[in-house]
Amino acid sequence: MDRSEIESVVHEAVAEALALDDDEVTPEATLMDELGAESIDLLDILFRLERGIGVKIQAADLTEHVQGGIPDEEFGDDDEIITEKGLAHLTTVMPQIDPEEHKGTLRADEVMNLFTVDNLVDMVVARKAAAS
Amino acid sequence: MDLSDRHALVTGASRGIGKACALELASRGAAVAVNYRSGEAEAQAVVAKITGAGGRAVAVQGDVSVPEEATAAVSATVEAFGSINVLVNNAGISRDGLIFSMEPEDWLAVMNVNFGGTFNCTRAAAEHMMRERDGAIVNVSSVMGIGAWVGQANYAASKGAVNAFTRCAALEFARFGIRVNAVMPGFSPTELVQELVEKAGRSIKKQIPMRRMAEVEEVARTVAFLAGPDASGITGSLLPIDGGVSMQLGLGKPE
Repeated sequence: MDRSEIESVVHEAVAEALALDDDEVTPEATLMDELGAESIDLLDILFRLERGIGVKIQAADLTEHVQGGIPDEEFGDDDEIITEKGLAHLTTVMPQIDPEEHKGTLRADEVMNLFTVDNLVDMVVARKAAAS
Repeated sequence: MDLSDRHALVTGASRGIGKACALELASRGAAVAVNYRSGEAEAQAVVAKITGAGGRAVAVQGDVSVPEEATAAVSATVEAFGSINVLVNNAGISRDGLIFSMEPEDWLAVMNVNFGGTFNCTRAAAEHMMRERDGAIVNVSSVMGIGAWVGQANYAASKGAVNAFTRCAALEFARFGIRVNAVMPGFSPTELVQELVEKAGRSIKKQIPMRRMAEVEEVARTVAFLAGPDASGITGSLLPIDGGVSMQLGLGKPE
């Protein structure tokens, strides 16, 4: 299964789970902020991906993927603002974000709001590759 | 209605309504896991009856009020049949008594089995059903969940909880292709209400518009209906099977 096949399954899963038209699901759309996905929608998307791609991803895996195994206290400072180390990692899993724009202002609980459809595709591609 | 591609777990299926449900589902072709807590011989007899008639069945021990045992019962069903797509949450107990003299463990025990068992098994089965986007859950509640009876505060509260849970589960699982419904038997002649029926049988029948109790087979046929494809558009419903007892305002007639 190549990236474009995975991409099409992810787009279809997102569209169906969120009852959106196909053209509303663009690679750069953020899942939660722009497309309005809530926890039950994410669960729906992940089960659809498991069925369509055969890769099991838990909701908790999403945040873990985004945080990249960096401990909470190093990922965010005392005020829950993402550290430079955290930002450096975020640019690897969410290459579209501009670290300068978020430096010193991005709160830990806002990070997932930046997660796009394409970021999800990347994650699924990586998981699929790791599994096979 | 053919259920031959269905793989069911019926909790508390060694006797009463659960046994009738197991037999009914099996008679329509479903493979049935017959869950029991302590009645092994009775459960094996239900299994023997099903397999003797050419059906598929296994006995699965487990106290559904214990989360790990409920999960194990679901796993055993999946192991035996390859999947689970029907769950009948039937296991129930009663510990009747006046609120005035009811001990905390009396309501907790009833709640743990009647509601806790329903929760635990639903939780355990849901993941399998969500993955397949295919499942039907039928909870055996009671009209006591929408009405009141002296001495059954704990039982009624547990069934009220099952009713509320049925609606919430139906809502949360609808998009995953899982339907969740409940039946609410009125008075049905099982061991659970034996004492009540023996003491007040005649006066109870007078209060039932149909003048008789619902047979366990009638409850089982409704459960099978809700579990099967004929009910494909029904979810979140709480269906009384009570001869009309819960809909009447009171007893009386014009002069």
